[in-house]
Amino acid sequence: MAIRVNPRFIDDLERFGAEDVKMCYQCGDCSTVCPHADDVYKFPRKSMRLLQMGLARKIETTLEPWLCYYCGQCSTQCPREADPGETMMSLRRWLISRYDFTGIARQFFKSRITEVLAIFLIALLTGIFLLYYGFSGGSIHIYDGEGAFLPSPFIHKFDLTVGSILAIFLVINAIRMWYLVMIKGTKFAVPWWLYLKELYQLPWHFFTQKRYSECEKKREHPFFMPWFIHLGLMLGYVTMLVLVMVFVEQLQSGPAIQWSVHIFGYLASIGLIAGTIYFIRNRVKKNYVQYKKSHGTDWVFVILLFLIVLTGITQHVFHRTGLYEWANITYVIHLICVVPWLLRMPFSKWAHLIYRPLAMYLAAIRRDALALQEKLIYSYPINIK
Amino acid sequence: MEARKNCRIGVYICMCGTNIAKIVDVEAVAKFVSGLPNVVLARTYKYMCSNPGQEMITQDIKENQLSRVVVAACSPNMHERTFRSALRSAGLNQYLLEMANIREQCSWVHKDTKEATEKAMALVYAAICRVELHDALESMSVDMCPNTLVIGGGIAGMTAALELADAGNSVHLVEKNNHLGGNLARVDLTAPYLYSARDLLTERITRIMDHKKVHVYLESKVTELTGYIGNFKATIRLINGKPSEENKPVEVEIGNVVVSTGYKEFDASRIIHYGYGKLPNVITSFELEKMIRAGRIETKEGKIPRYVAIIHCVGSRSQEFHTYCSRVCCMTALKYASEIKSANPACYISDIYIDMHAFGKGHEDFYRQSSEAKTLFLMYEKDDRPVIHKASPKDDCEMLIEVNEKLSRELIEIPADLVVLMVGMEAREDSHEIARIVNISQDKDGWFIESHPKLEPVATTTDGIFIAGTCVAPKDIPDTVAQARAAAARILARIAKGKIEVDAVYSEVNEEKCSGCRFCNQLCPYSAIEFNEETRHSYIISALCKGCGVCVAACPSSAIKGRHFTDQQILAQVDGLFYEIEDVKQKTLG
Amino acid sequence: MRTGVYFCQMEESRNLNIDSIAKYSANLPEVETVQILGLKPHPEVKILCEQIKSNNLGRIVIAGDMPGYFKPVFTKAMAMTGGNTNEIRLASFQEHGARGENAMDRAKAIVACATMGVPFSLVAVPGGNPVNHSTLIIGSGIAGIQSALEIANAGKQVYLVEQTGTIGGHMAMFDKTFPTLDCAACILTPKMVSVGQHEMIRLLTKSKVVAVTGKPGSYRVKIKQSARYVDIKSCVACNQCSEVCPVKVESEFDAGISLRKAIYIPFPQAVPNAYLVDEINCTYILSEGKKCGTCMKKCPKECINLNEIDRTIDIEVGNIILATGYELLDISKIEQYGYGTYPNVLTSLEFERLTNASGTTGGRIITKTKHINKKTQKEEWIFSPEGIPPRSVALIHCVGSRNKKYNPYCSRVCCMYSLKFAHLIKEKIPNVTVYEFYIDMRAFGKGYEEFAERIKQEGTFVIRGHTASVAMNNGQMIVRGEDIFNDKLVEFKVDMVVLAVGLIPAHGTEELSRMLGIQRDTDGWFSELDYNGSPTDTDKGGIYVAGMCQAPKDIPDTVAQASAVAAGVLRSLTSGKGIGHLSSLSLSEIEERAKNMHTI
Repeated sequence: MAIRVNPRFIDDLERFGAEDVKMCYQCGDCSTVCPHADDVYKFPRKSMRLLQMGLARKIETTLEPWLCYYCGQCSTQCPREADPGETMMSLRRWLISRYDFTGIARQFFKSRITEVLAIFLIALLTGIFLLYYGFSGGSIHIYDGEGAFLPSPFIHKFDLTVGSILAIFLVINAIRMWYLVMIKGTKFAVPWWLYLKELYQLPWHFFTQKRYSECEKKREHPFFMPWFIHLGLMLGYVTMLVLVMVFVEQLQSGPAIQWSVHIFGYLASIGLIAGTIYFIRNRVKKNYVQYKKSHGTDWVFVILLFLIVLTGITQHVFHRTGLYEWANITYVIHLICVVPWLLRMPFSKWAHLIYRPLAMYLAAIRRDALALQEKLIYSYPINIK
Repeated sequence: MEARKNCRIGVYICMCGTNIAKIVDVEAVAKFVSGLPNVVLARTYKYMCSNPGQEMITQDIKENQLSRVVVAACSPNMHERTFRSALRSAGLNQYLLEMANIREQCSWVHKDTKEATEKAMALVYAAICRVELHDALESMSVDMCPNTLVIGGGIAGMTAALELADAGNSVHLVEKNNHLGGNLARVDLTAPYLYSARDLLTERITRIMDHKKVHVYLESKVTELTGYIGNFKATIRLINGKPSEENKPVEVEIGNVVVSTGYKEFDASRIIHYGYGKLPNVITSFELEKMIRAGRIETKEGKIPRYVAIIHCVGSRSQEFHTYCSRVCCMTALKYASEIKSANPACYISDIYIDMHAFGKGHEDFYRQSSEAKTLFLMYEKDDRPVIHKASPKDDCEMLIEVNEKLSRELIEIPADLVVLMVGMEAREDSHEIARIVNISQDKDGWFIESHPKLEPVATTTDGIFIAGTCVAPKDIPDTVAQARAAAARILARIAKGKIEVDAVYSEVNEEKCSGCRFCNQLCPYSAIEFNEETRHSYIISALCKGCGVCVAACPSSAIKGRHFTDQQILAQVDGLFYEIEDVKQKTLG
Repeated sequence: MRTGVYFCQMEESRNLNIDSIAKYSANLPEVETVQILGLKPHPEVKILCEQIKSNNLGRIVIAGDMPGYFKPVFTKAMAMTGGNTNEIRLASFQEHGARGENAMDRAKAIVACATMGVPFSLVAVPGGNPVNHSTLIIGSGIAGIQSALEIANAGKQVYLVEQTGTIGGHMAMFDKTFPTLDCAACILTPKMVSVGQHEMIRLLTKSKVVAVTGKPGSYRVKIKQSARYVDIKSCVACNQCSEVCPVKVESEFDAGISLRKAIYIPFPQAVPNAYLVDEINCTYILSEGKKCGTCMKKCPKECINLNEIDRTIDIEVGNIILATGYELLDISKIEQYGYGTYPNVLTSLEFERLTNASGTTGGRIITKTKHINKKTQKEEWIFSPEGIPPRSVALIHCVGSRNKKYNPYCSRVCCMYSLKFAHLIKEKIPNVTVYEFYIDMRAFGKGYEEFAERIKQEGTFVIRGHTASVAMNNGQMIVRGEDIFNDKLVEFKVDMVVLAVGLIPAHGTEELSRMLGIQRDTDGWFSELDYNGSPTDTDKGGIYVAGMCQAPKDIPDTVAQASAVAAGVLRSLTSGKGIGHLSSLSLSEIEERAKNMHTI
């Protein structure tokens, strides 16, 4: 059965950042220089082709976009300046919007205003709620313990609620991704035990970003810098997430610093500060291919994160120096930034925190399954249809 | 057999780089012939045709008083002229040369060295036997008539005509249509720069019409061409005009002929599954051209198409129809894409091609611009053509084109409201007629054959007949114009010279033997033989005779002798071919 | 006829002031309205229709660099308002060369002609100056040779100027020519010989045009002829001088894959068939006669004079033909193919010489072998008799061509010669594997498509999919490519890589263009007067372009062009109309002519 070509698709993808894909004349140079392209997962050329032809149904079942870490080799090599790297990035954005069942992601990617408004709305609600809660029964002069403006048990509950909302979205979308890739997109049988066999891939890729480091071999930057920073940033906010979700009460209890917990906080903060500054700097300078084109959503993320870290640190300082009023105020601002940032996560590029490792996992499974398949065909030539 | 005794033969064996030497042991051949009687010397050289090679020959002729020369090298077609001139420059009659073709007929077709070498020996030996009997012939020169006949009033014909006329020579321009301009007159803009084809034509047509030196014959054709280079006679008749006082055939005297009859487009209905003629909105490139000129790019229903599909190589590059590439379609297709976009910016264009032939000046850039305008390029396999279906009512398009897209390896269907078939070029149906009239040959596709594909792109095997433009092979406007001018240049050079050499190889009738049976008169393909009523003998107009030898073979009383191809010469050569090594030894001894 | 003039520019053209052209055209007869639509506009059909109606325009003139882009939308508007769609005229600045110093006047003239409905090329025909009967041809490749013969055969004097020591150009370096596979030497050398012998051709080798003055029809040309140090007439090319010469340098003719002496003959069939001395490397000349000079003593005919000095020749000619040809793009800057780093990565030209029967290996296709250079004690890779033929060869198309970073254009010949290489390799080396990496197989000419098919039949792997990665893995070259048609990423072990390097204008092209005031296009090739109408003329009277120097093209097209040029020259000699620069026509003159011009 023939698949219908959709010439309009390419216009749609422009909104996601794929502005130059139309220039591609399919020479294949990009695939030959890509450090990750292999015999099973061939990209960027193939993905670009599917995009040009607008075969959305096919693309949404592919993993290739996730296997690309944007070293930018393809884009520097491309004879027609069709910017394959950016195209893969745009496809990732588009995929996120496909996995997302709410359709919010799509709105965010397609219109800046909606996104900003949404963020402001959430921020506003959070602010009102916190202030209301604080002033009813709490005093701005007390930071912790009896009659505190924002008592830590409450914050803990609050965090958990936000966290679980976030989790729900992410899990559902992850399941959708699995469905699209493994059920719709995989025409051959996948034995269940492969899921166990490859399970280690999830934590491995999540915590090491191994594949990303492989890009550096091809990249002109010194000391695997982007990978290192990226890792730091990622570990930074993962640690923070854990701290906030689990140890927030210890964090808030003072005045003495609990090193057992705080030390992580400090390390994480360093990672976050360094990371955000590094990326903001690069995006401003556009000094590497992969930072040439910044999608609006990229900015929103880094800027918010930067604010979060900044307010987080300041409120910590105020708290420790006993300026409780200021501590409370900065704390509120901090949370006002955090909540929209967290809730935005599943609808933004930063869902790749989850999708990437998952993609590696599924990719490995498919590869194995395919290998088995070929063995099968090899051993029973009759079965070939 | 006087010749045999007192002739001094020089034999030259060419290695042709390694073309010959890699198979034929040239030294062995040289050694073999050097022993033969009358053979004064036998040399080998890497490139006989080269300057030093020729000098070697002229030197030897002078120093060793050679009276005959045998060159064993490539086909005489390639270099007989070259070596003849070498003989001339040494003061030896050029017809005392014989070439043995040990390349095309030997080294290129043999794998085994031993066989090849033996064959080479035989060929050379045969040549020696023949050359012994050669006579010194004198070639004659004839006057060059400064007028020229140009057949075909397209861009090529008009260009050639103007070049010649501007140089002050009169030209007879024959066009079968009722207007000049040919196929280009149907085109609006030219690829890749989208210049106006119309201005291009208007300029030329105006100038031709105003030109005193150009005589234009519209709705006419050349029905007969007699004579030979420098002195042709052509008969020009009105097509489908009743013979009456005012239109009786015109006879013109000309010195040269330029054939520029152009092409005709491929008949798209021959490809069934494109449904041309059945599906209303499947049109050919020329029909689209009409639409664009009229400013109405619409479906038959008068709707503005949302999806347009352009299919390349219709009738070209296929085993079924024409194997060759029509050379201009790719750029024309891109031109249409840009024109349609310009008229209907909202329209989506898919361009279904095999290879994008964007080879010329500005072509690649044009291709890039087309991609920039979001033309969707889809590639199909040469002989796995797209199939056009009628779309179902619930689709948002008229038709669906099913094709195996090669770059994605997907079986896809492309929406289309209007399908444009880029029909290729093919030789005109009347090309064989023209070929016959002016006596030039055609290749398997019906294109006229140039005398050398590279270095003689406009000359033909018949002296004084030139070919230019798309009647030789598909080509775009600049290349056509260049060819037309090239043809003109040749003619201008000859006119400037005023005289032309005619080959001395022709047949003669021995009046004593001729019985006047007139067999030969009908047989002669060049109608060079006439009958003398008084003497009751046939005689041959040497300037017309090409020395083909038909009459020689036919003459029952063997009264006709082909100069340079006498029976003795040929028989000697044949004997030579089937020599026995003993005979040779004997000859060598006594 | 009521006329509307619309200005639509494709890109900003620096030396054109559209506003003033617009002002000018507003005052032209019958011009009703003048609109400037600016850069890359998308003219609205509705608005156009209204304007056509309101001014009831009978004719529309679209002016700009590429007005053709906008014609269809105007045609549509015209049709919708029921006007005559034939009355849409183009005033193309680019087509008629409104560039350079007198761009403004030219542009105005172009618009004027369009408004009066007369083709510019019909009106702007300069003339007047009487024509000197001798012709100068710069460059003696196949193009120069062809033109020279065409003109000389008409009995006209020709000066053929060549920078190197011999005529023949690049074609002389080739082994065989596609698609007929007859050897280049076999078909070229006869022509070279007849050039050398022709009484009407004066051959000036080792020469360079240094100055051109005067007007069309009578150009005074100053030619600097560097000393050859060998007397052409008496030299018999006995090679004894070369044998004793101690200096060894890379041979230009062999594309640097073999060595020659400081006194040498480029190749055996060279014309003139005499030796020459390379003054940059000759010990005697470098030491101002203090050292060496052995060749002079050795020469039996005493025709070597190492003290010879350069001389300048002044000639007067009527016409000048540019046939300066091309050179290869310098690919050392395209690292990914490893040229220069890996020994057995060759350029197309190097391979031509390698496979050429008269080349250093006598036509054997072999890989380079490592040697220790006695002098420098450095190890170097050279072609030596003990070299072994490669087991597998990769041919990579479009190296630097069709690439925005290097040559945006297609070099037109690479596809075909790469296919030819494939054939030669297959023919010369039993059971060798040959891979071709291509993007589009551009087999467009007569018999080309069939040739391409034949190569595939011969078992060459023709892979749709370019490559940008040639790597070395412990002594084994590996080419990584994407076999797009079979949807595979492939890695091939190869012993030799041949790069189909893109072509660029020969060095000195720019200098010449400045000297003669000939326009060049964005890629650096000489601009012709009119892409379609007169592809071999320039807008300078009596100056023509032929062959590669106008744009890449194959031999048949080059030859056709070269002959075409001859037509132009011969016409100018016999017509008696004379010739002149297009710029010599004043604006008012053109207007005047256009007014009382009638077209059919």
